[in-house]
Order: sequence, then C-alpha cells, then structure tokens
Amino acid sequence: MKQSKDPFEAAQEEQDDSPPESPIAADELETQTPAGQDVLTGGDDDEISAAVNNPSEPSTSAPKLASTAANASAGKHKDDEEEEEEENMEVELGKFPSSSDPAKMAKMQAILSQFTEEQMSRYESFRRSALQKSNMRRLLVSITGSQKISLPMTIVVCGIAKLFVGELVETARIVMTERKESGPIRPCHIREAYRRLKLEGKVPRRSVPRLFR
Amino acid sequence: MSNPSAGTSSKSKAGTSQPSETSFKRKRGVFQKDLQHMMYGFGDDSNPLPETVSLVEDIVVEYVTDLAHKAQDIGAKRGKLSVEDFLYLIRKDLPKLNRCTELLSMQEELKQARKAFEVDEEKLATLE
Repeated sequence: MKQSKDPFEAAQEEQDDSPPESPIAADELETQTPAGQDVLTGGDDDEISAAVNNPSEPSTSAPKLASTAANASAGKHKDDEEEEEEENMEVELGKFPSSSDPAKMAKMQAILSQFTEEQMSRYESFRRSALQKSNMRRLLVSITGSQKISLPMTIVVCGIAKLFVGELVETARIVMTERKESGPIRPCHIREAYRRLKLEGKVPRRSVPRLFR
Repeated sequence: MSNPSAGTSSKSKAGTSQPSETSFKRKRGVFQKDLQHMMYGFGDDSNPLPETVSLVEDIVVEYVTDLAHKAQDIGAKRGKLSVEDFLYLIRKDLPKLNRCTELLSMQEELKQARKAFEVDEEKLATLE
C-alpha cells in the first residue's frame, strides 16, 4: 500500500496515518523487522508498535463490541483457519502494555479470542480506519483561515470526528432496530440519529443559523 | 446567492469572518473511502450505501466546522487557536475526552521513541 525505504520508515508512516493501529499492522511490522535488522532497531520497533498498539479505550470499545456482537447473526464458532489468525493477533496484543492494567488486557484477550471471522474483520476495520490527517488539515485551514494548524490538533480533530461517526452509526442502528428494519443503513436513519444527537446536545450548535450553503 | 447543495460536484466555501486565502473548493468524497471502512467498523453493512456515506461526510464536515468555529472563538481570547480549545469543547463528552488524551499521550511517546532512535543511530554511526 505504501512505498517505503525500510520497514521502520514504513512503520513510522503507518503510525502517522492511523494512530489506532490494528493487530494486523503490528503483525506486518513484527514479521518485517526481525529478519535482518539490528537488535537496536528491532527493539525500538517493538517499542513503537507497543506504544501505538494500545488497545482502544475500553469504555468506548465495550459498547462497540456489544453492537458488533449483536450484529453478528451467526452464533460464535471457530474454524481452524481463523484460530491460527486469531492466535497471531492475540500474541501481538499480548506484548503491548494496556492503557491501565493487565486485568483489562486479559479481558480484551478473552473477548477477542471468541470473535467470529466477521466480528474480527469488523473489529479490524474499527481499529484501523481513520480519517486522513492531510484532508483534515486542509479542512481546518480553510475553516480557520490560519495556516498554523499543529499536528496534535489535526490528530485530536481526527479522533473526535471518528468517535462522532461512531455515535452516528450506532444511533442509526438503534433507530433501525426500533423500526424493525434490516440491511445497510439508509440516509433516513442517519438523519434521525443526527436529530437525536442534537437533542442530546452532543452536536455543537451554531448561535447564528446557517444561511447560505 | 444561495447554492443548492443537491449533489453538486464542488462547492466553494465562503469564509465567515475572513475570506480564506486558500479558496478551498469542497469536493465531494474527500473522506469517502475512509468513511466506508469506518462505518463498517462501527456496525454498518460491509458495503454502505453511497448516499449514506455522502450524508455522513456532510454531517462530519459540518460538525468539524462548527467545532472549529467555536474553538476559534474560545482561542481568540487567548490569542491563537490551540489544542486546549478543542479539549475544552468536548470536556462534557467523556469517551471523546479520554480518547483525545490517549491519542496525545501516544503521540508524545512516539516522538520520544523516534528521538531515541535517531540518537542511537548517531551513536552507532560515530562508533563505526
């Protein structure tokens, strides 16, 4: 996907693009680096992938996991092929310090080990997906009119936007279950979800209404 | 001079307090690809409907715009815009606040790690 001179730079670029890395990305890093690298760079690589692969915030991941579990219609079952892939992922996750304590890490391990293939792919999309920082920076520059948008600001706004998308999609799913509909989410669900979020006050409202679009 | 936003391919974004020099024409589909993966991760179908993705993109851009305007208002008191303004705006929303502090601390860790790596490389180069 990315042109890179050496695996470490590839790791850096990947880190820059999507802070919430998935176990699969870490897997690629791990397999690339040991092969003929210094102990020094290999060690630093581990540290970096360790720093980056912090498991996502448990308080937000728990409700999301619940929703993905609800979405998986098939019962939980494990194929032999998936087991191998999941074991790899567990190993990667095991190396990384959890944000707080090993108890949470153990809980994550226990949950992840029981994922079906569909759940695992959904979880991977959840961890890996991110809004592009370059696009976000361009948008922020055009909004504020100032060129001085720092990198932390871009990262923070990307994170906020991603969580907002999550709230939208989850609320839209709730709306769908209330209306007893199924299938892909339609714009009417999103609009209803947006309306509910506005009522809850999670969307910043403009004091002056928007006139010209 | 109202611009009907029904599926036009590009929109010129008018500045509010000051005209933006970059004249950023907001094209459709700036975040589309990423949004598709994101929506799947959050519970949508593996192939979300394109109109849904467009709508979510519009909503997200509007959200970021409003957020940035409010942050700018707050930052104007201090003089310039900073990360703290955004953090202040989401202070009520605990998941977002925690996630942002986590992202910022991770970024610090990465910076430190990269600095350590460069220092070690120099040492290695000077040794040889």
